[in-house]
Amino acid sequence: MEHILSILIFFPAVAGLLGFLVDRNSIRAYAVAVTGIEFLLSIWLVYMFDMNYDGMQFVESIALIPSFGISYFLGIDGISLFIVLMSTFFTFIGVVSLTETRNIKEMMITLLFLEMTMVGVFLSLDAIMFYLFWELSLVPMLYIIGAWGGPLRVYASVKFFLYTFAGSLIMLVGMLAMAYLYYQTTGEWSFNILEWYRLVLPENFQFWLFIAFFLGFAIKVPMFPFHTWLPYAHGQAPTIGSVILAAILLKMGTYGFVRFSLPLFPDASVTFMMPIAILAIIMIIYTAMIANAQKDIKQVIAYSSVSHMGVIILGTFALNVEGITGSIFLMISHGIVSGALFLLVGVIYDRRHTKLLSDFGGLSSVMPKYAVIFAIMMMGSVGLPLTIGFVGEFLSLLGFFQQSQTLALIAGTAIIVGAIYMLGAYRKMFFGKLENEENKKLKDLNGKELFALVPLTALVIILGVYPKPILEPIDKSVTALVRLMHEKALTEETKAVIPNIIVLKEVE
Amino acid sequence: MEIYLYIALFAPLLGSLIAALFATSKKIVFIGLLTSGLLFVSWVASVILAIHIYGGHIVHVEMMDWIMAGNLHIPFGFVADNISVVMMLVVTTVSTVVHVYSMGYMSHDAGYNRFFSYLSAFVFSMMILVMSDNFAGLFIGWEGVGLCSWLLIGFWYHKESASWAANEAFIMNRIADLGMLVGIFLIYWNTGTLQYDEAFKLVPQLEMDIIVSIGIFLFIGAMGKSAQFPLHPWLADAMEGPTPVSALIHAATMVTAGVYLVVRANPIYDVIPNVGYFIASLGAFVAIFAATMALVNQDIKRIVAYSTLSQLGYMFVAAGLGAYWVALFHLVTHAFFKALLFLGAGNVMHAMDDELNIMKMGQMKKVMAGTSALMLIASVALSGIYPLAGFFSKDKILEVAFSSDHYILWGTLWVTAGLTAFYSFRVIMIVFYGEERYKKLGFHPHEAYPFMLWAMAPLAVLAIIAGFFEHQFVHFVTVLLPSYEFHTHHVENILIAVTSAIAILGIATAVIMYKHGPIKKDLTGCKIYQLLINQYYIPKIYEKVFIEPYEELSRIFWKIDQKMVDSSVDFIATRFYKTGEATRGMQSGNLSNMLIWMVVGLVILLFTAVVLTQVLPIVADLYSKVG
Repeated sequence: MEHILSILIFFPAVAGLLGFLVDRNSIRAYAVAVTGIEFLLSIWLVYMFDMNYDGMQFVESIALIPSFGISYFLGIDGISLFIVLMSTFFTFIGVVSLTETRNIKEMMITLLFLEMTMVGVFLSLDAIMFYLFWELSLVPMLYIIGAWGGPLRVYASVKFFLYTFAGSLIMLVGMLAMAYLYYQTTGEWSFNILEWYRLVLPENFQFWLFIAFFLGFAIKVPMFPFHTWLPYAHGQAPTIGSVILAAILLKMGTYGFVRFSLPLFPDASVTFMMPIAILAIIMIIYTAMIANAQKDIKQVIAYSSVSHMGVIILGTFALNVEGITGSIFLMISHGIVSGALFLLVGVIYDRRHTKLLSDFGGLSSVMPKYAVIFAIMMMGSVGLPLTIGFVGEFLSLLGFFQQSQTLALIAGTAIIVGAIYMLGAYRKMFFGKLENEENKKLKDLNGKELFALVPLTALVIILGVYPKPILEPIDKSVTALVRLMHEKALTEETKAVIPNIIVLKEVE
Repeated sequence: MEIYLYIALFAPLLGSLIAALFATSKKIVFIGLLTSGLLFVSWVASVILAIHIYGGHIVHVEMMDWIMAGNLHIPFGFVADNISVVMMLVVTTVSTVVHVYSMGYMSHDAGYNRFFSYLSAFVFSMMILVMSDNFAGLFIGWEGVGLCSWLLIGFWYHKESASWAANEAFIMNRIADLGMLVGIFLIYWNTGTLQYDEAFKLVPQLEMDIIVSIGIFLFIGAMGKSAQFPLHPWLADAMEGPTPVSALIHAATMVTAGVYLVVRANPIYDVIPNVGYFIASLGAFVAIFAATMALVNQDIKRIVAYSTLSQLGYMFVAAGLGAYWVALFHLVTHAFFKALLFLGAGNVMHAMDDELNIMKMGQMKKVMAGTSALMLIASVALSGIYPLAGFFSKDKILEVAFSSDHYILWGTLWVTAGLTAFYSFRVIMIVFYGEERYKKLGFHPHEAYPFMLWAMAPLAVLAIIAGFFEHQFVHFVTVLLPSYEFHTHHVENILIAVTSAIAILGIATAVIMYKHGPIKKDLTGCKIYQLLINQYYIPKIYEKVFIEPYEELSRIFWKIDQKMVDSSVDFIATRFYKTGEATRGMQSGNLSNMLIWMVVGLVILLFTAVVLTQVLPIVADLYSKVG
């Protein structure tokens, strides 16, 4: 199976097209089967993946427009491997647990297309292809929010689309400029990211290109102050939309930083390290406090997402192996935890058609299983050791501590502010007396919900106790990345900030 | 031997998991028996390990890797050495007793199975905390006990006050945990490892500033768990949890984790005596500070909680002054008599239908002879009367303070010893002697199940005899801990006499004052009384200074986010719309109109071209000449 990556990308798309022919009543089974096969394929990919090799694997390359160096170029390494797995996993979980009944056929087909774009983004090694999938991913999500969302769905979906689209256009300009610079230096056009890696850019070019890429990624993440589209999107999106958005789409931004910004512009990354760290800290504390003020459980989790993304950004810009590895692990763990939390919110919303914290209270006594799973996810979210959330958060903060002790200390308040809003919300929902009449007859989790939530809960604990299978390949590829950055760095200052791995390893 | 280490560690986890399976089902007595039995197994394994270690061996295992990234390598490594095995024995002894006791105490509670699941999970976390061979593993246990404490304080979650106290405890501990985390980061980036033995070996080579920072940040972590000022209010509020929880977690084990940390990190604290002195001073302050609050309180559990706080202060004095074994010794004896005291208080509470106010009790000795005897033993031990355990350990701490010429610390602790004796016997006198006030209030107290009293018996025995094993203890732990040189041999007997005198004085005062029950005089008008009963107004101050502003700031930030950050985005977007709306007239399709616009555009283009090619160079030229 040389073309496993192509299959992973296009199988859901083709299946989605064929889905138009499938009967409305059997579309659920069809979608479950397709996403299930896709998930199994990605497991098989992980199985075949050589964990001891730090470069790109399963590479496929076909020239598309040779005169401009645009090619169909795919590959996967330790950094993208588990993000892809998580994408297929969550689409599968999302489809299985879908409770939406309106226009279910359209929903399923949209999800299959969305899966294609997500997997495509993480597998593309050609900038144009990356850009295509990146932008295409907006369309299904626009549709999901706009068609199945709440009362403000049109405003929310248009805002989501235009905001992120504006950012990505600037990124596209950056990509074109990058290819042109490549042409100027080598005499040939190329959009091949791996070839771009070898290009050493003068500092001022790095500076401007970094900004162009930054805007694209930062809006997607979303970083403060570009985050305001997210609460609307989450507030209006149906459960499945929020799950995919939080678990995977946001990770495109942070993935972009690791895949493009750091290796292409190491000197600019060092220049921007502190300003970005300060933005990240604002994200962590400011949005955590906003989460604390929310009256709606879904908004609490939406803002908490932004707060956690701040820790990811901080880890990425620690620019050392510990920090970057931690931030990639945190992308996966945050995906699992926030995805699960949005599923959990969906569970109660399906039953009560309200998300207001004040409508609940004392739910522990009527929905004990729900309360337990929610509690485990909450502990994952606040980063309790031996849950999945701790590993990434610990490594990210540890990594950044090397760059600035003061900022890492301030960022470390994440563990406090995170606990404040999460425990507060949990208390309002699950503790206290069960007073609301409507809550007294609530049913606990049903089979379908358990099917989606139990594996996630298991992952939260298993990967918290034994994160090695995921950390190891990430660590390998990140080590290679940091080495590349160190070698490419122009100034002594940059070289001093980005550690020289080879030397360190030899000393040992 | 490794197998015993694993048994000691994982037996409580097994019990917890099995109990968790039945967490939502009806009470199953077997769950209580099973978890208690598994803890007994853990205790036996700990004893076997202790004997093995007594023979001069250390059991060290590396189970598997946990986190590996870059140069960071954290295994699940466990060590049973002279320090950790002492803690293991304390933890398993007290928790076995508390488990058996709880089978009676919780027998009518709907959450019986759930309770045992949490309680055993706590023991497991505590074992991880004391057995880990590295700082990250310590942190796992550290946060794990925090989680279990949250679950158990909020065990009766329908009570608003309980869930509030649970959150308070968790969050306040998290504040301290950040300090701990920073300490861990400092250790990693300066020594390249988080293993105790490797890191401690490198400590002497570090710069002084760095060691001081490490010492301070680790101690901040310790302050949270051990509820040292100013992070202490959670401990008194934690009394919302079931009483066995208070006995196990908030008296005997978890709150002493901070002391354990300082003892464990003695190679760090040994080279920074100034930080040590600060720790000791804070400890002495907390000792007297908490003791004063215990003087006037009427809530039986809170009095014992303040007493715990005060005794933790004692331990920190010893640890801070470098007498690590003394700190550990007091930790051990305190665990026995304080757990006993709490369990006794639990019996009283049960007898009184969960009434906590001691003013409503009195002459309970009649109906609760067993409990009153046990609590009397615990109180005498706590007061430091020969020959009970508290005498030996507390006396040593005072001696340490005197020996290191810290007379102010010694004086503070000496006064506190008197206060301790006084408030302990105030409780005893008001609850068990005097008039039978409960009768008028319609209570029908009854003694606890006999097996609960029998469960408490081992603690009573230990509270009586533990002191006599001082020499064996010293011999055992100073294999790893530095021994402490006392310079007080010439005044030793005088010191003992002086300390015992104030303890006896405290007891005598209490007995005389409360012989006929509570004093009748109304103290509510007294300023000092108000200060003490309101806990020096600290909870109120925290409410006003931290909690309310935080909530308010949260709301303000939310407003800012909507009204400023988001509005500016929408503003930009609407500008585009508006510009479009305003300029659509240009595209009217009317030929003459469009020609006019074309001309306008052309003029602008030409003008720009002229400016750029002709005017700008002249300006630049002029500018450079001027410059």
